[in-house]
Amino acid sequence: MHTFNRRRFLQAAGIASAAAALPRALGAATPARVVVVGGGFGGATVAKYLRLWGGGQVAVTLVEPNADHIACILSNLVLTGALSMDRISLGYNALKTNYGVAVIQARVTAINYGSGTGKGRVSLSNGRSLDYDHLVLSPGIDFIAPPDNPGAWDANVTPHAWQAGAQTLLLKKQLASMRDHDTFVMTVPKSPYRCPPGPYERACVVADYLKRKRLLFARVVVLDANAGIQAEPVAFGEAFNHIYKGMIEYIPDATVSSVISQTRSIITSAGSWSNVRVLNYIPNQRAAAIGPASSANRGWPLLNAQGFVPVDPLTYGVSGYPNIHVIGDACAVPATDGQAVPKSGHMANAEAKVCADAILRALNGQAPDTNIATSSACFSPITATTASWLSANFSYGNIYDAAGKVKGKGMQRVDLGEAPKISGDNYQDMFTWADGLFADSFI
Amino acid sequence: MSFKAIPLRLLLPFGLLLAATQGAHAAPPAGRLLAAQCAQCHGTSGNGPGFDEVAGKSASELRKDLLEMKRRPVEGIMDRQARGYTDAQIKLIADYLAAHTSGSTN
Repeated sequence: MHTFNRRRFLQAAGIASAAAALPRALGAATPARVVVVGGGFGGATVAKYLRLWGGGQVAVTLVEPNADHIACILSNLVLTGALSMDRISLGYNALKTNYGVAVIQARVTAINYGSGTGKGRVSLSNGRSLDYDHLVLSPGIDFIAPPDNPGAWDANVTPHAWQAGAQTLLLKKQLASMRDHDTFVMTVPKSPYRCPPGPYERACVVADYLKRKRLLFARVVVLDANAGIQAEPVAFGEAFNHIYKGMIEYIPDATVSSVISQTRSIITSAGSWSNVRVLNYIPNQRAAAIGPASSANRGWPLLNAQGFVPVDPLTYGVSGYPNIHVIGDACAVPATDGQAVPKSGHMANAEAKVCADAILRALNGQAPDTNIATSSACFSPITATTASWLSANFSYGNIYDAAGKVKGKGMQRVDLGEAPKISGDNYQDMFTWADGLFADSFI
Repeated sequence: MSFKAIPLRLLLPFGLLLAATQGAHAAPPAGRLLAAQCAQCHGTSGNGPGFDEVAGKSASELRKDLLEMKRRPVEGIMDRQARGYTDAQIKLIADYLAAHTSGSTN
């Protein structure tokens, strides 16, 4: 077969990477077709940068079921009423008009991964189908039901508000109903999950909201499935132990076994709570389904044990599936044990740029760049006027197992740190940061 | 202060970055992918919306600033972010930004 021979030739020439890209005929007159599934920070950024850098070489179609993306970023401030939903609603018009991205509002119903040819087809809920030369999947996360009595959990009764929108508004309404001596119980999912500092930030802004309403005997219980605070341990430790002392109760190693939404009750390895005023159960997470629930692997070519899609750190390609790329929260980037690449909007934007560059190089028959870096930076409100920040940097190179032995190549964490102090300046910077990230991804 | 009210300042610099788009077969300019990591907080073309503009500065000025932030005690978030890059990567970023962006006052 023609494509097979060409791939063999490229491998012999040392051009193809581990997750090989099959180049189109060099000098092709028609633009390469790239289909992007999912219009969050990853999908929007990859669509924008493919056109920004690739120009007429690529025709980019973004498929997204919603008319706008509601950012999780800053959504904890919508819960408390500090911001409106409009502030975190991001549309797709700029991608269309500034960059010529075609945007289709539809759901994916099936994906043909191309059986190794590197060319396949995406079928949509509106009856259309799209042929692609490269496919980028950026669908975000799904939630995993509690192991015992999973049918008793209903997110429309006990919201997670870990995808912003209707869930945010429901939790906002429930929070507003709290009276003195009431309890707000929330969970922190087992890592890896979307936005490592997010749950701790939520505990802080909820406690601050209750304090400002003078509900001084209301309580926030944080049930963490992990052994300790997963991000910004100094800032959140300060918040839990001092700023909100007596108001926030932090309980680590709390593994959830069941949730009964109708009675707002939760059973965990660290105790049970019943009939609480608000139960904000944030479930464990995995890559969002990309096909029908009945399909094998929920529609994915392959998944790791935690339910995320392993990718090549240079191309975000999937091993054995040429020209299929996965970015953002759904992917699992190879990293040193205990130093995972965080799942965040900022990181999804970073990965999108690496992926866009790799796709454009592949279309020109070039090997992916190896001098690559990704980063995440974010600000976390601690009170209504102060915030902290978190910064993490990754660089391509050797990665290590828990014993310190090289286990391969991946994104090695080269720096990690949090704000030296919680401050009002950080709170102001938070909006500058969010506006920058919103614009670089969507405008 | 709606996000949607942010002026579309991209229109002018958009053309500048497009100028960096390469024709078929040519490798992207050195440093472009690394420098794209600045854009989340400094704007797609380095002049916002976001923190301090990086567009319109000379390569030597950018390099000096980044190396200083990398080596001084951590106060702001850029002092951490600068630590995420080797000196050689910082040079590539500075050279790219100086060559492919210009200040918003132009």
